[in-house]
Amino acid sequence: MPDRLSFYLKKNSIIHALNPFTKLTLVFAIVTYGLIGAGFWTATILVCLALLPLAFTARLLKEYLGVAVKLILPTAGFMFVMQSIFIPGGTTEIFRLGSISIELETVQRSYLIASRIFLFISAFALLLLTTHPSELMTNLTQRGLPPQFAYVIISTLQIIPQMQAKSLTIIAAQRSRGLDTESSFIKRIGLLVPLVGPLVFGSLVEVEERAIAIEARGFTSTHKKTYLHEVPDTNLDRAIRTILIALIIVAVVWRVWPS
Amino acid sequence: MKIEISKLEFTYPGGVQALRGVSLEIEPGEQVAIVGQNGAGKTTLAKHLNGLLKPTSGSIHIGDWDTREQSVSKLAQRVGYVFQNPDEQLFSKDVGTEVAFGPRNLGFSGEQVQGLVNDALMLTELSDKTDTNPYDLSPTWRKMVAIASVIAMDTEIVIFDEPTTGQDAANIARIANVIKVLRERGKTVITITHDIDFCAENFERVIAMSQGKILLDGKANDVLGEEEILATTYVDPPQLTRLGKRLGFKETVRNEKEFLAILTKQGHG
Amino acid sequence: MAIVNLQNVTYKYPLTEKPALQNIDLQMKEGEFVAVIGPNGAGKSTLCYTLAGFVPHFFKGELTGSVEVARNETSKSNLHEWVLNVGLAFQNPFNQISGAKYTVFEEIAFGLENIGVPREEMKGRVKEAMKMTGISDLADRSPYSLSGGQQQRVALTSILVMQPKVLVLDEPTSQMDPIGTREVFSVVRTMAERGMTVILAEHKMEWIANFADRVIALHEGQILVDGKPGEVLTSDVLTEKGFGISRYTSVARRARELGLWKRDTLPVTLEEAVKGFKE
Repeated sequence: MPDRLSFYLKKNSIIHALNPFTKLTLVFAIVTYGLIGAGFWTATILVCLALLPLAFTARLLKEYLGVAVKLILPTAGFMFVMQSIFIPGGTTEIFRLGSISIELETVQRSYLIASRIFLFISAFALLLLTTHPSELMTNLTQRGLPPQFAYVIISTLQIIPQMQAKSLTIIAAQRSRGLDTESSFIKRIGLLVPLVGPLVFGSLVEVEERAIAIEARGFTSTHKKTYLHEVPDTNLDRAIRTILIALIIVAVVWRVWPS
Repeated sequence: MKIEISKLEFTYPGGVQALRGVSLEIEPGEQVAIVGQNGAGKTTLAKHLNGLLKPTSGSIHIGDWDTREQSVSKLAQRVGYVFQNPDEQLFSKDVGTEVAFGPRNLGFSGEQVQGLVNDALMLTELSDKTDTNPYDLSPTWRKMVAIASVIAMDTEIVIFDEPTTGQDAANIARIANVIKVLRERGKTVITITHDIDFCAENFERVIAMSQGKILLDGKANDVLGEEEILATTYVDPPQLTRLGKRLGFKETVRNEKEFLAILTKQGHG
Repeated sequence: MAIVNLQNVTYKYPLTEKPALQNIDLQMKEGEFVAVIGPNGAGKSTLCYTLAGFVPHFFKGELTGSVEVARNETSKSNLHEWVLNVGLAFQNPFNQISGAKYTVFEEIAFGLENIGVPREEMKGRVKEAMKMTGISDLADRSPYSLSGGQQQRVALTSILVMQPKVLVLDEPTSQMDPIGTREVFSVVRTMAERGMTVILAEHKMEWIANFADRVIALHEGQILVDGKPGEVLTSDVLTEKGFGISRYTSVARRARELGLWKRDTLPVTLEEAVKGFKE
């Protein structure tokens, strides 16, 4: 079982030290600019001038680029195919593959959408890479997010790998009873019952016992909660947030203002 | 059916080496218990016997089959494996169907399946629960359903992974009886267990493992008497063995019969 | 003054006919260490849930009689107040991991966060509890990466750290090797000596005999025998009703029939057996 169940990578950097809420505001600002900025290169510029330097400062440039490659190539590829199929009719042919013509407009539209999606997702990825999930949730709970909601998010993140491990055990148990899992597709549909049945039943028992276990530890206590981790919120944090919020307002106003 | 394990080594994908050169032979019809602390490699070894794990190096032969060349579902014809947690395998709407699942997969005829199921249910004292949904039974009885579902496959070799964990005295006695009947039928039984008293009372041969190697392998009385070596793998000798030692018995005893025999001899001597 | 006081308690789970507990009368003194034995289905877990308030607050069903712990009456309390007095750890360790925490240290602190213990005190209590149960070296591990036995210790520590007046443990050592079991029993013994009242459901007779003050044998939801370990664990009625008994007791009983055990009472521990057979 891997010890690391989240994206989070511990590093000693100024980005890691920022308050999670500050980082969340930053992501929000980037998303706003990405959405509002009409220019073709806006998303690209934001990635190059904001996210890359931030990743570098967080000492996570390599990891960030890793996520980037895994994300951007399939996204861009997918967008390109979708655009070519559903919105054909460009005029500027760049080159021709047999009977298929590749047009500049399609490439541009695909790039625009892919670069925006990439901006949004990778901004979040950077947040998760530099912020411990329990710190993020603790901080949001302190700012008013209901603890039950935070619990559901965190425990779901953790339980998915556990469910995977459990499915593997169930598969092993049924193969040991002579179940041939290497057979045809049609036969495989029939295999679902022996595999999914125990998983579902096990989960029902698990949910009940887990509810008892957290209740026994005062989960629904009416006392005011305290937190193990202190999440520092410095003057720098507040200053950065003020600037970011100002920038967001400026952008929105500029966009909405009738010109 | 003979089991031959030769220079078996196994390293998990994460890089943890769980077996570091295990060689052993188990003759047809032997009753073997494998003991040792958590992480000693007991379960890893057992999972090699039905092909759930394949050796990193070395080999395992089940009769004339090399486990590397056979699928798990094929090996299931020769090796039955009772997993520790019954809830990770039960899925049918009633006990009878659940127990029939294994023999059906192995391709027995309808009549044969019925015969095997009836026999397995009788042996596990489940005959009156054939039509019950397994999940309406207590965890103790679900354990017996899991055992029956493997017995019904009528394999030459049966493996039990921690059969007594969480069971009460009555159910432990039932499981011991199943093992006794399998012995009478000439089956090979291999059991992984923490329960050293259960091991002492039901097995003729004991293998103690530690850190991926075999520490001791031999007749139960010889192995269970090695208090100091067993301590290195966090195994305490059985209660009666310890009592015999404290009373100065020269021979190692492991059950009431042996203990009382020596006591009687001393009493009259 | 009894800290635990059950009077004529009968309980039926919803949609069942037969009571899981019947006419239970049970008083426990502060600092007493009581072991509960019995076959599966005898009502051990239900008794644990009743003391811990989950019967009837969580399981619903029909409870009659009175359940009183630390002068509170279960029918007049809320579960979230009740758990402050009574801590519960049970058998399956995996399902007791909160899932909300990434390290063992955070996991153990979870309960203290919920009940609002100040941060510095919280850290001190977590460290102390981990030291006690011998898991300090696991502090930074993920709770999910541990073995079953280690997870059981984390579950126990997570409850101990809350410092309940009454500690209820339902087969807390089922997945442990003998070394782990011995450590848990001695920790529980120490807690009892410091004034915590402990009720522990277990099958491991030898350990009960060595550590508990008192043993209650449950059978079909009723108390069959209640008394000192030496008396209860050697009583003939246990063998008749199919309870597991210590090998020392059963071999001495056979030896007595053969005239090879001279004492009136039967042994439950190794030491008693050694002394008795030497006579």
